[in-house]
Amino acid sequence: MKPGIQSRLLVTTTLVLGVSLTLAALVLDRSFRMSTLAGAEEQLRLVTYSLMGAVDTAGPGVAVPDPLPEPRLDQPESGLYASISARDGSILWRSPSALTDGVTPVASDLQPGEFRFSGGPAGPANLLHLSYAVIWEDAQESVLAFHVAADWAPFGAVVQSFRRNLYLGVGAVTALFLLAQILAVRWALRPLRTMAQEVREMEEGRRERLSSAYPSELTGLADNLDRFVAHEERSRSRYRKAMEDLAHSLKTPLAVVRNAIEEVPDESRALLQEQLDRMQSTVTHQLSRASLAGPVIVGRPVDVAALVERLVRALQTAYRDKDVQVSVQLAQPIQVRGDERDLMEILGNLLENAFKYTHSRVRVSGQSGDAGGRLTIRVDDDGPGIPREVREVVLNRGTRADELHPGHGIGLAVVAELVGLYGGKLGIGESDLGGARLQLELP
Amino acid sequence: MRILIVEDEAELQRQLAERLKSAGYVVDVAKDGEEGLYYGREYDYEAAVVDLGLPKLGGLELIRRLRSADRRFPVLILTARGNWQDKVEGLEAGADDYLTKPFQMEELQARLNALVRRAAGYASPVIGSGAIALDTAKKEVRLHDDPIELTAYEYRVLEYLMLNPGRVVSKTELTDHIYEQDFDRDSNVIEVFVGRLRKKLDPLNPIRTVRGQGYRFTPEGNV
Repeated sequence: MKPGIQSRLLVTTTLVLGVSLTLAALVLDRSFRMSTLAGAEEQLRLVTYSLMGAVDTAGPGVAVPDPLPEPRLDQPESGLYASISARDGSILWRSPSALTDGVTPVASDLQPGEFRFSGGPAGPANLLHLSYAVIWEDAQESVLAFHVAADWAPFGAVVQSFRRNLYLGVGAVTALFLLAQILAVRWALRPLRTMAQEVREMEEGRRERLSSAYPSELTGLADNLDRFVAHEERSRSRYRKAMEDLAHSLKTPLAVVRNAIEEVPDESRALLQEQLDRMQSTVTHQLSRASLAGPVIVGRPVDVAALVERLVRALQTAYRDKDVQVSVQLAQPIQVRGDERDLMEILGNLLENAFKYTHSRVRVSGQSGDAGGRLTIRVDDDGPGIPREVREVVLNRGTRADELHPGHGIGLAVVAELVGLYGGKLGIGESDLGGARLQLELP
Repeated sequence: MRILIVEDEAELQRQLAERLKSAGYVVDVAKDGEEGLYYGREYDYEAAVVDLGLPKLGGLELIRRLRSADRRFPVLILTARGNWQDKVEGLEAGADDYLTKPFQMEELQARLNALVRRAAGYASPVIGSGAIALDTAKKEVRLHDDPIELTAYEYRVLEYLMLNPGRVVSKTELTDHIYEQDFDRDSNVIEVFVGRLRKKLDPLNPIRTVRGQGYRFTPEGNV
């Protein structure tokens, strides 16, 4: 099965939305980290400047007077460290916060006037470093290097919290978008579902045509569908009418000829009679076949019980002399999807056959199959039954119509054919009433 | 016995009429539904043969109108289309039997006989009780199991009276059911036929004269 329109739309939107929002989140995350680093560098630079302002090189070595310009430099392990080194790399001064020299490494190749910033979450001991070399003009124009280091952890915490909020936000936006998309798709596709429902109702005969309330994109389709259904019905009835006219215009002359033959001399009469029988069989059989509608696209379900009742009443009239006892045992209301006249031909022929051959009892029984099962209708009689050779002729679809003699199973052959057209089966067997059992199975 | 044929195809109409006439029926023919309705309303028939595909007034409608005009004679429909829709609708409209074209004349005649008999309340082709037995299929009358010779008109008079046992049948009614429409009628001839019949049925006397009204058939010969 091909993916539905709804899933196509949803998959596409989800992909586009996912990719673009992820990209946006990555860019934002990266920008924020970089700006956090830049801010940290700026802070370290400020500490460096204030340290430079406070340094006293008057005495031997380098001295930094108390209190230090940045109080955190006084507290051990405060997260902010500083040192001053000479050109040869020897540490001249170290802030009290730095308990060891290693906290503020010395870069020896630093040129005077150069700032060097390094570190970050991946750096040694999670520290940020800023070194600055300067030519100290006061004394002997020596080069001093200032080193400041800061713990990354507080900055990292800010970055982490930003990232968490960012991803939460992006997730929420994604969910909202998807929900809106699902609703929009369902809303947009609702006319299609309505149309499917209405077409189903038309098939079941509960609706004549589609309602006109369709969005402009679908009105063309809906109109065409309506026209198609109407056309199908019209051409079916036109065809049937043509077949019936043909039947009328062929059979009346046949009747005339058949009667006229009786006045013909004996020797030629037999031959004419035989040929006429063949013509009559062919015409009857082919025309009955041709006027069958077969399975229909749209049609009201036919109520089998009502149809059987009508036919039985009609046959009781025609066979009044016979005094036939008919019992109808239909398990539950049985409905067949199909052309009512086709069903009338099927049941009419089966019932007439029973009435014709029965002694006195006819039974119609039936049940609609279980879920998805076939429906079965049986017509039993207590007549002489149907000989094997006739059964074979009737049920053998290859048999040519003119091989059947008039009144010799043509009706049943038509029934077999029609039942086949509906995808069903006609069975002929023996009845427990003693006569024939004709069993109809329809899907 | 008088039969109405309503059939638009001229040749078939002629064949039907000839066949039924030679079988001893009195036949009226109509070529369309309106004419059929006129005949059916004007005259009394033992049975009618009606084609379903008629011009002017369809066969179904003709039967419906005859029935609603309280015409109760049996109707045999002829259908060329032969589908069940037609047959069922025809029977529902008030017809009594159907025959699909093309048909055998013997079949049609047998069905008609059965319809007429059935309408008169007899189940078998042989009607009558006791000593007189009239076989409507063979057109033969037996008295104490011995066949008796009757002319065509004598047979028709006896058959009509036996199909209406116990009822007073006027001479006019008898004339209507025995003669063709355009026949030169003379009701006195009826008296002649009845007289000859009485002689042939002697010593039984089932045909009684009801003075000023007509005749009555009483099976056992008593009043």
